[in-house]
Amino acid sequence: MARIIVVTSGKGGVGKTTSSAAIGLGLALKGHKVVLIDFDIGLRNLDLIMGCERRVVYDFVNVINGEATLNQALIKDKRVSSLSILPASQTRDKDALNKENVGKVLEELGKTYDYIICDSPAGIEAGAMMALYYADEAIVTTNPEVSSVRDSDRILGMLASRSRRAEQGLEPIKEHLLLTRYSPKRVEEGEMLSVEDVKDILSIPLLGVIPESQAVLKASNAGEPVILDTESDAGKAYQDVVDRLLGDTVEFRFLTAEKKGIFSRMFGG
Amino acid sequence: MADASIEFKGTSFTLSVIHLKTSVLADIRADLVKKVAQAPDFFYLVPVVVNIEKIALDLDYQAIKTLLTEFNFTFVGFTGSISKEQRNLVRELGFSFVNTAKAKVVEKTAAAAPATVEQPPEEQVENTVTPVASQLYTDKIHRGQIRSGQQVYAKEQNLVIIGSVSAGAEVIADGNIHVYGALRGRAIAGAKGHHKAQIYCQSLEAELVSINGNYWLSESMEKDWGSPAYIQLTDSELTSSKLI
Repeated sequence: MARIIVVTSGKGGVGKTTSSAAIGLGLALKGHKVVLIDFDIGLRNLDLIMGCERRVVYDFVNVINGEATLNQALIKDKRVSSLSILPASQTRDKDALNKENVGKVLEELGKTYDYIICDSPAGIEAGAMMALYYADEAIVTTNPEVSSVRDSDRILGMLASRSRRAEQGLEPIKEHLLLTRYSPKRVEEGEMLSVEDVKDILSIPLLGVIPESQAVLKASNAGEPVILDTESDAGKAYQDVVDRLLGDTVEFRFLTAEKKGIFSRMFGG
Repeated sequence: MADASIEFKGTSFTLSVIHLKTSVLADIRADLVKKVAQAPDFFYLVPVVVNIEKIALDLDYQAIKTLLTEFNFTFVGFTGSISKEQRNLVRELGFSFVNTAKAKVVEKTAAAAPATVEQPPEEQVENTVTPVASQLYTDKIHRGQIRSGQQVYAKEQNLVIIGSVSAGAEVIADGNIHVYGALRGRAIAGAKGHHKAQIYCQSLEAELVSINGNYWLSESMEKDWGSPAYIQLTDSELTSSKLI
């Protein structure tokens, strides 16, 4: 049985797509069969982050409408053969998806893949609800900032009430907290919420803390998920996240400001 | 005898009572249509008792029951301070007559000699209807955190939350509110007017607390902010005190 994981947040711009790409690629590098689905219909981004934007012919909406087969729409990653991407449509809007057909597509993908990663759009409207509906697990991506935390809290409420698992009274969605753009220095200066603050408010298990890093922007623009940048803090932190998702116990890194490493952090990423 | 298979016990329920002011079926129907249209889900399969004390003897009892069933009510029986003969009529037609505790006694004597020694109650269990107010509230227990945007209402109950109430969430009770966690959202106790309602929490960080319509925003909670505390109403003023 494939694990369906939704990467969600409520708030936009917190790093859902970056995280989906990094985690998806990381799992594939470990030898698992992974498919990444972009649920952000109309604001297609995942293909850019994955560096396959020039290879999009058919998309998720075409598959939903029966205009293309899954195999036609799936794009194989050039770096790792066990990874595929199902891109969103750029020309349609979020009403183009419906529960029944999304369910069929997921079921079909589940026959082939070990992990189905659903990259959710921001917000709490139909698009985001569609992305989380069939999920078995959720990675709630949050920035250490009050508005992001509150939006994540709202999404956690939705996961517990609006998902298939909630509607059918099954075991609830397994929730993971992923804290991104974390800056230990600013936490020490009292400008940013700490890991403990966020954990206290959301009270869900911590999956990972990704430090604020120049490497992320560079990776996005290059279409190379940041997990490939094994020298960067962010890349290492995502690697830890993947290991934890696979059941390993990995100590949390990058939670305190490194006094001596400040230059390498600034210039080395 | 299998004497353990069933047991008869008296329990008090709150039942909706429809007071008839006319025996003209068309008028009743028209008003039912209007009422049910306002909240179809709310009335669905709701048990109702029909008060007929303002109605003359010529009421078509069977038609009333059929009408209510048609509107998806669950018809329980008739009630009201009525004469002995009307009460007998109700029973002869095969309907339950539901006795009320208080209201009766006063008018009972005025209306007609009450027939307390009626047939032995072999047909059905009689329901006792108790007035809502002055009752001790039971508890509605919610396990788990109440997230931003969620709302929990304990109607005519106390609300016990085992978990925190997030900022942007709202918990409302007609009775007391107990939060075994941090209260960061809004808590409204004694929502239907109950000045003795209280709010308890393990950490007071609320956006708003309200008892019987008197409210405080977070700025008024400075004294016990972040502490285990409870809020109550003293002489129409909210006060907070530390629990420990």
